[in-house]
Amino acid sequence: MTRWLCMAVLALGCGAAWGLDLEQELKKTLKESVQQKIAPQTGAAQGSKEPGGGLLAGLGGTSQEDEVAIGRQIAGNLLGAAPLVKDKRLQKYVNNVGRWVASQSERPDLPWHFGVIESNDINAFAAPGGYIFLTRGLYRLLGSEAELAGVLAHEVGHVIRQHHLKILQQSQLLDMGGKLLAKQAGNNSAVQKLIGSGAEVVARSLDKNAELEADRIAVVLSARAGYDAFGLPEVLQQMGHFARDDGSVALLFKTHPHPDDRLEKLGLAMGGQFDAIKGQTLEKRLYRIK
Amino acid sequence: MILLALLFAHPAWAAESGTALKADALRAEPFADAKEVAALAAGDKVEILKKNGGWLQVKSARGSGWVRMLSIRKGEARKGPGDAAGLLALASGRAGTGKVVATTGIRGLNEEELKSAKFNEPELKLAESFATSKADAQKFAVQGKLAARKFDYLAAPQ
Repeated sequence: MTRWLCMAVLALGCGAAWGLDLEQELKKTLKESVQQKIAPQTGAAQGSKEPGGGLLAGLGGTSQEDEVAIGRQIAGNLLGAAPLVKDKRLQKYVNNVGRWVASQSERPDLPWHFGVIESNDINAFAAPGGYIFLTRGLYRLLGSEAELAGVLAHEVGHVIRQHHLKILQQSQLLDMGGKLLAKQAGNNSAVQKLIGSGAEVVARSLDKNAELEADRIAVVLSARAGYDAFGLPEVLQQMGHFARDDGSVALLFKTHPHPDDRLEKLGLAMGGQFDAIKGQTLEKRLYRIK
Repeated sequence: MILLALLFAHPAWAAESGTALKADALRAEPFADAKEVAALAAGDKVEILKKNGGWLQVKSARGSGWVRMLSIRKGEARKGPGDAAGLLALASGRAGTGKVVATTGIRGLNEEELKSAKFNEPELKLAESFATSKADAQKFAVQGKLAARKFDYLAAPQ
C-alpha cells in the first residue's frame, strides 16, 4: 500500500494540469476495487523494474497493478462474449508460444495470458496488462508456429506500448466528472466504469500508427524469439484475400488498416534488415485443433 | 456435394498466383546481393513456386527468380494451408455468401456482443490456469530449437 501511494504521489507530481482532486479520487476508487482481485496474481510481476520508468511510463501514471486489473476486467468480459475453446493442449500451447515471444519484449515479467476463444470471426484482441486472445477463426488460418508467434507478437506490441491503456486514460480523464458521480449512485465496480461497456474497448479502433507500430514490433519479437520473422506477413497476406464484406473479417477490417497497406508499410520498415536472419517456422509443431 | 467433390479434386499443391505490389528485382537466389536476373514491374502477375524466409521463388512473363515476399500480394482463391478452412467454411454455410448463415453453434463477435458482454469469472480463472512461466517458455523454446537473439526495433518508415 505504501509503495502504491508513493507511486500515486509521484504520478501526480509529474502529472500535468488535470484537476488533482479528481485524479486522486479516481485513483483511490480504482485501487479499492482492484486490490482483492489482483492480489493472488501479481506475485510474478512484483518488483519487476521496467526500463524507462515502467510504472510511471503511461500517461497519468497508471501503475502496473492497475493496468493488470483493468486488463483482467476486460478479459473477463471478452470471455463472457466468447468462451475459451475447450482444448487444454491448445490453450497450453498458445501460452507457451506467447510467453516465449513476450519474454523477448521489455516487459517479460508481466503476468502474460494467452487464449483461443470460440468465434468464427478472424480477429485477435489485447487487453492491458498482458491478456491476449485470438479467435478460433484466425487460429484456423495459421500454417506454422511462426505465424502464431507473429500474430501473438502483434498483440504483445499493443500491450507493451500500452495502446489500449492510453485510450482508456484519455476517455477516463474526459469522463471523470461523470464517473465520480456514478460512484455515489451505482453499484458497479470502478474498473468496469473505467472501461465502459463490457469488452467494447477491444473493438475500438486504435490509431493507424499504433497498428503499424505493433506490426513492426511483431516481426522484431519473432526474430528475437528465433522464429522466421515473416510469420505475421504470411498471415496478413491470407487476410488480404477476404472480401471486405465478409462478415468474419468485418470487425477486423473496420478497426485495422487493410492488410495490403500493413504489408506495404511493413515492407518499407523491414527493408533488407532481415535478409541475414534465418528462423524456425515449425510447421509441424503447430497444434491443430481437433 | 458436387461442389465438395470439385474442391477435393482441386490439387492442394496447385501453384499460388500473385501480383507485384511494386517494382522489384528478380534474383537468382534468395539474397539481396544475389545476381539480378530480371526486373518485375508493379502489377506484374507471377506464379509462386516456393518460399524461403522472406523470399518467394516466382515465375513471371519476365523470367523466373527470387523476389522479396513483401513485394508480392498473393492472389485469389487459395488460402494456403488453410484450404481446409475453406472447406470448413463451406460446411458451416459461410462460404460464398460472406455472411454467417449457419454455424455449428459458434458465433461471430460483433461490437454489440462485445459491448453487452458480462464478466465471466470462472472462464477467466480457467484462462489464467493455462499461464506458462518464463522458465517453462524457455524450455518450450529449447525443444523447438528456438534460439533467442538480439534485434533492434524498427523505425517507422518515412
